[in-house]
Amino acid sequence: MAEESAAGAVHLLCLAASSGVPLFSRSSRGGAPSRQQLPFSIIGSLNGVHMFGQNLDVTLRSARTEDSAVVWKTFHDSITLIVLSSELGCAELRLERLLELVFGAMVLLVGLEELTKIRNVERLKKDLRATYGLIDSLLVDTELAGDLTQCVDCIIPTHGPLLQEALAGFAEEMGSVFASLVAGGRVVVGTEGWWRLGAPEAVLLPWLVGTLPFQAARDYPVYLPHGSPMVPHRLLTLTLLPGLELCVLCGPQPPLSQVEPQVLERWWQPLLEPLRACLALTPRGIPAGFPLHPDILGLLLLHLEQRRGLFTVDLGGEEGPSPSARRRLLRSFYVLVTATHFPPEEKAEEPGCPTGVPRACYVVCGAAAEGPQGRQDPGAGLRLVAVQAGPRRLLLLVSARSPTYALRGLATRTLHALTPLL
Amino acid sequence: MACFLRFKKHIMCINSLDPHKQPGLWLRSSDSSDLEAEWSDSVQKYGELFYLELSDSEEESLLPEAPAVNHVRFSENKIIFDEDYLREGRKYEPRLKKFSKILKSRRLLPKRYNKKNSSAPVSILKHQPTQKMGIILQQQYKDVSVFVNPKNATVIKAKEHLKLLEVLLGIIHQSKWRRKAEGANRAKLVVHGLLPGGPAMKSGQVLIGDTLAAVNDVDVTSENIERVLSCIPGPMQVKLTFEIANSGQKETIQPKQKKAQTTGSDLVRLLWGEEVQNLQQNLQSTPHIIMYLTLQLDSETSKEEQEILYHYPTSEASQKLKSVRGIFLTLCDMLENVAGTHVTSSSLSLNEKLVHVAYWKEDDKLLLIGLPAEEVPLPQLRNMIEDVAQILKFMYGSLNSAFCEVENTARLDHFFNLFFQRAIQPEKLYSRTSPQPYDASSSLFVDTLPGVQWLTLPQETQMEIDMALSDLEAADFAELSEDYYDMRRLYTILGCSLFYKGYLVCSHLPKDDLIDIAMYCRHYCLPPLVSEQRIGHLVIWREVFRRHPLRPTSEPDAQVFREPEGRYFLLIVGLKHFLLCVLLEAGGCASKAIGHPGPDCIYVDQAKATLLQLEGVEASLDERLASPSNPCLSSADWFLPSSRDKLESLTSSPLLTKLQHTSRAITSPSSRRRLFSDYSLKTRKLSPSRGSGGSDNGVEGAGEGSGPSPHTTPDPLRKQGAKEAQSPGGAQASGALLKATKKKATLPNPFHLGRLKKDLSEKEMELFDAMKLTSGTENTLFHYVALETVQGIFVTPTHEEVAQLHGSIHPQLIRNFHRCCLSIRTIFQQSLKCEKKKALNVEGNPRSAHAASFLSPVKEHGVLFECSPENWTDQKKPPPVMAYWVVGRLFLEPKPQELYVCFHDSVTEIAIELAFKLSFGLAT
Repeated sequence: MAEESAAGAVHLLCLAASSGVPLFSRSSRGGAPSRQQLPFSIIGSLNGVHMFGQNLDVTLRSARTEDSAVVWKTFHDSITLIVLSSELGCAELRLERLLELVFGAMVLLVGLEELTKIRNVERLKKDLRATYGLIDSLLVDTELAGDLTQCVDCIIPTHGPLLQEALAGFAEEMGSVFASLVAGGRVVVGTEGWWRLGAPEAVLLPWLVGTLPFQAARDYPVYLPHGSPMVPHRLLTLTLLPGLELCVLCGPQPPLSQVEPQVLERWWQPLLEPLRACLALTPRGIPAGFPLHPDILGLLLLHLEQRRGLFTVDLGGEEGPSPSARRRLLRSFYVLVTATHFPPEEKAEEPGCPTGVPRACYVVCGAAAEGPQGRQDPGAGLRLVAVQAGPRRLLLLVSARSPTYALRGLATRTLHALTPLL
Repeated sequence: MACFLRFKKHIMCINSLDPHKQPGLWLRSSDSSDLEAEWSDSVQKYGELFYLELSDSEEESLLPEAPAVNHVRFSENKIIFDEDYLREGRKYEPRLKKFSKILKSRRLLPKRYNKKNSSAPVSILKHQPTQKMGIILQQQYKDVSVFVNPKNATVIKAKEHLKLLEVLLGIIHQSKWRRKAEGANRAKLVVHGLLPGGPAMKSGQVLIGDTLAAVNDVDVTSENIERVLSCIPGPMQVKLTFEIANSGQKETIQPKQKKAQTTGSDLVRLLWGEEVQNLQQNLQSTPHIIMYLTLQLDSETSKEEQEILYHYPTSEASQKLKSVRGIFLTLCDMLENVAGTHVTSSSLSLNEKLVHVAYWKEDDKLLLIGLPAEEVPLPQLRNMIEDVAQILKFMYGSLNSAFCEVENTARLDHFFNLFFQRAIQPEKLYSRTSPQPYDASSSLFVDTLPGVQWLTLPQETQMEIDMALSDLEAADFAELSEDYYDMRRLYTILGCSLFYKGYLVCSHLPKDDLIDIAMYCRHYCLPPLVSEQRIGHLVIWREVFRRHPLRPTSEPDAQVFREPEGRYFLLIVGLKHFLLCVLLEAGGCASKAIGHPGPDCIYVDQAKATLLQLEGVEASLDERLASPSNPCLSSADWFLPSSRDKLESLTSSPLLTKLQHTSRAITSPSSRRRLFSDYSLKTRKLSPSRGSGGSDNGVEGAGEGSGPSPHTTPDPLRKQGAKEAQSPGGAQASGALLKATKKKATLPNPFHLGRLKKDLSEKEMELFDAMKLTSGTENTLFHYVALETVQGIFVTPTHEEVAQLHGSIHPQLIRNFHRCCLSIRTIFQQSLKCEKKKALNVEGNPRSAHAASFLSPVKEHGVLFECSPENWTDQKKPPPVMAYWVVGRLFLEPKPQELYVCFHDSVTEIAIELAFKLSFGLAT
C-alpha cells in the first residue's frame, strides 16, 4: 500500500541558489495537486549534492532510479529548481521542459529582476505565491500538450477567416498588435503579432488564462520571459462567452475602463454564432465534419516552425482506453519519439548526416496479460505512429484493429488531410 | 628435440622469475607448438594462466605447410611428453627446475640473469618484445626478436661451410680481427656486417658495431655461440640481446619502433598488459572512471578516501569525477529512501561534457562507472555495468572478493584498462583487417546483447564438430581412466563450446555459463583477436564461479537432482582461429580441488588435440563464411536511384543484375549453384529414411522459386523474360516457402542440431533454401539480428558477409541500424521489466490498469530513415533518397526472443510479417 501511495508523485522544489533557502515546493500525486511534501532533510540533501558539485565545477544534471527521476537546473545563478518525479514513464525530456516552463511562469508573474537580485527572501516567497496556480496546473494532468511540446495548443475553428478579421480589427482599435481568442487554454485565433511571441510566453499566456478563476474582465500585469523579462506589460482579458476569452497584450494604454462595451459589441455581436461554434469545439479541437479514419483514437499535430500544435483524443470511438489514458499514451509516445529518434524541435535538421534522417516511427503495444477478471486490457495491441514531413510532425494513436503495415499510409494520408488546417 | 625443449624451458624459467612481470600474462613470439613447457611457467600464484602466443603471419608465409608440420611435431612432442610424465609419476614437481639444473651442469645457465635481478628494476618490456621486431632499450642493451629457420639454413650450410651465426642470424662476425686485441676465449661477438636478406638485417634493428650478448637470455661469446645456435631445432622466434655500440643510437631507433607498431599488435600488447602509448593518450583527456565504494563508513578511523576500495584510472580528467564521489554516495542513499528503488544512473556535466554515471549497488557497496555520453549512450552504459558486475562475479565469485583483495589490484587495473579501451575507442582495437569500421559500430549494440553470435553450419560440419566435442567431454582418454591410476580424476568436463573466428559454432554448455564465458572472451578481446590473427597458442586457465539459479529449497527432495558443491575451472585453448572453452568441475564425482590448482597438462593437451582434430573442418567453416549470406542481403547502395539509372539500359530490373554481378564476383554463379544443390543432395543421402513427403514438397516449391530469386542466376534465355517471369514466380516462391515453414513448428535449433535429437535433414535443406526473406522481386533485406534468450545466442550476418556488400552508404546504414537497435532494445528491456513486475503482483492491483496507459509493454517498434549519398556533387539535381526501416520486435511467447531487421521501404508491407516469421524460424 505504501508503494501504491508513492505512485505517480511529482515534487517540485524551488530554492535560492546561493543561500539554499527553499522558496516554495509544490507536489502533485496521481495527476492531482497534493499537499504532501518532501521532508526538509530530503530537500536539503537534494540541493546539497547539487551545490557540492557546483563548487567543484561539476554540474549535476539528473539522476534516475528504477522508476523515478530527478532533474536539477539552476537559472541565472540565482534560482535552483529541482523536480523529482516517480510517475510511470517519467522522462527527463519532460522534466527538463517542465523546469524551463516553471521558471518561465515565475518570470511571467514576478519578473526576472526580482528573481535574479534577491533582496528580501520573505518578500519573494510571498510574491511567488501568485505563481502557485499556474505552476500547479503544469504539474497535474492536463488536456493540453504545450507544456511538453513547447508549441501553442490550438483549436481549428470552422469560421477561421471571419474570426481572424474581427480580431485584427479589434486589436487595431485597441492599439495593440498582440490579441487572441482563447478557449479552455487553447488559442482559437491570434493576430500575427500574437504568433510572433517567444517560446515560453506563447505557451504560458493562454495557459495562464485557462487557469485563472472566472471573471468578466481582467487587467493582469505580466512580464514576458522572452520578450521583456524586466518591464511588465498588461494582459487584458474580456470574456465574450463563458469559456471563451479575448486576450489583448498592451502597454500602459488603454486602461481597461476604456474598453467600452459598445466596442466589444460592434466587433463580436455579429459573430456570436461562430463563437458559439468555437466553444463547442473545445475538447475535439477540429470541426465535427472533418473526415478522419475511424481507427484513429487520438492525434497530436505539430507545426514546428510556427510552434503551434493540435492535440485531441476526442475523436469518437467508444472502445479503447479512456481519454486520459489516450492522452498519456500520446504524451509518452511523443517523449519517446523526440528523445530517441527525431531531433528536438529547436534544432534545424542537420544536412550533414546522410544516413538516418528519421521520417517515421511506430510502436505496437504488447498484448498485455489479461486482467484478473479475465477482461481484456484496453491498452493491448494499440498502435502509435509518428510521421514527419517538412515542418509538420503528426503522432497518431490508432486502435488495435488497424494492421501494422497500413500505419504509415494512414498517418501520411491523415497528415496530408490536416495540412491545410495548421 | 629433447635438448631443445630443455633449452627452451630453461629460458621460461628465467622469465617467470622476473619479479616485475605483469601478472598472468606471458608472451613469446614463436611458432613452435610444444605444449607443456611454454605456458607452465606463466601460471600465477592462484593457478591462473593467461598465455598468448601469436603466430606471425608474415613469417609463417615463409614456411611451407606450416599446419601440417605443426601436427606432426605436436604428436612427436606428445610422445616425449608422455614419457616424461610417466617417468616422473604424478609428482607435480616443476620439471623446469630439473632442466635448469641440467643446464647449470652444462654451464649454459647464464650468469646475467642473476646480475640483472639484483640491479635496478627491470622494465616490464624487457622480457616482452613486440611480436615482430620490437626492440627495447634498457641501459645499453637492446632486445631484438628475429625469426630463424634452421631447416633452410642447413642446406646452405652444407654447401658453403658457413658458421651458424651467419646462416641463421645473418650476422657476420670476423673473429680474427678481435683475436689480436683480446684473448680468443672471451672474445665479444661484435657485429661486423649483416648478410643481405638475413633475419638480422630484416629486423632492421641490428646495427653494425653492436655486440651480441645473449641469445634467448643465454650469454654467448664467440666460443659458445655455435653450440647455442645449434640447439635451435626448428623454425622459431629467437630473442637476441645486443650491447649497443654507443648510446647515441637511441634516438635513431626510437622512431622506428613507433612505426613498427600496428593497431593489431596494439590490441595484443594491451592484452599482454603493456602500456600502449598511442592508445593511452586519447584516454587521458576523456573523463572516465570506475570506483568501488563502501557505504559503511567507520567513523573512528577517519582516513582520507577511506570509502574508496578501488578506483581506476588516476588521470586528471578522472580525478574530478573521483572528487565528487560524495554526490554519488548521497544520491545512492537518499534516492533510495525517497523513491524506494535503487539509483541506476546520473548525469553530470564536466567541462561542458556530459558524463553519465551508472550505479550498481550490492550489499553495502557501490560500483560506479562513469563515461562520457558522446562515447557511450546511457542505455548502453547500464548494460555495460551489468556486464562488468557479472564478469567480475564470474571471475572472482563476488564483487567484494574482486575488489577487496589487495593482490587483485594490478589485475583489475589491467581489466579496466581493457574495459575503457573497448568502451571509448573500440575502433582502434578492432579495425585492422576490415576496411570498414564495422566491428566498432556493431560492438556498440551487439556486445551488450545477452547472447553469443552463432554461425549456422551445414549439417555434416556441425556433426563433426559435435562429435569431436562430445569425445572430449566424455573424458575417455587414457590418462583420465580412473582404473588405470586407481584414483579419482581431477575434473569432470561439464561442457565446452567452440568458437571459430569469434563466432560460436557449437556449444554444449548451459546458457548462463555460455554467456558468462562469452562475456569473458569478449572482454579480453579474444573474438577480434582470433578473427584477425592466427593464434600460435593460447591457454587460459582460471577458477570461475558459476551463477547459481535460485532453487526452491523449501522442500528437500531426495529425488531431485542437486548440483554438487564443486569448484569450477575455465580452460580456454586457442589455436589459429579456433577457441575452445571448456568448463571443468572439481568436486562432485571428480576429486576435490585443493588450494589453487594450475592448469592440468592432460586437459590442455586433450583440448588442443580436439582442436587439431578439427583442423579439417576449418576449410568448410571458411567456406561457410565466404559463401553468400543466408538469408541473402542487399547493399543499400544498390537501391540508390543513381546506380539504377546507369543500369537501366541493361535490364528492366537493375537490382537483379547488380546482385548477379556481385555474386559472380564471389564465385562463378554456376559453381555456386552446384554447391548448394550439392548440399541438399548430400543431406538427403545422409538420412534417406527421414525424408518425408511434406518436406519434399516444401523443398521443391522453394527450389522452383529460387530460380527467379535474385541470388541464383537465371540462364540467358530466361533473362529476357525476366520481368514477366519474375513477379509471379517470386510470389509463388515466397508463398511456397512460407507454407513450408508454417508446416514445421520450428526450424533447427543449434543445440538440438548439436545433439542430433531432432530430425534435421529436411529442415536443414529449408535452411539453405530459405534464401530470400522478403517478398517481391527484389531482395530488400539489409541486415538483421535475431536474439534467442533461452539458448543465449543471436544470429546476425557475419562480418565477412557484410564486407561483401561494400558500398559507400551501407556501412553507415549498418552503424545507424545498430544505434537504432540499441534504443529499441532499451524500450524492450523496459517492457520486459514491466512484464516481470506484472507477473509478480497479478492479483487485482489497480496499478496494472494504470500502467496500460503507458507505452509498455511494447512488442514492436519501427523507425523509418531516409538517407542520401555523401558528397553529392551534382548541383542541379537533389541527391537521391533511399528510405529504409529499422524494425525491432519482441516475442514473449513461447520464449523471449528479439528480432531486429533493416529493410528497404519499397517492400510490400505484408512482407514485414513474413520476414519476421521466417527469420524467427531461422534463429530458433
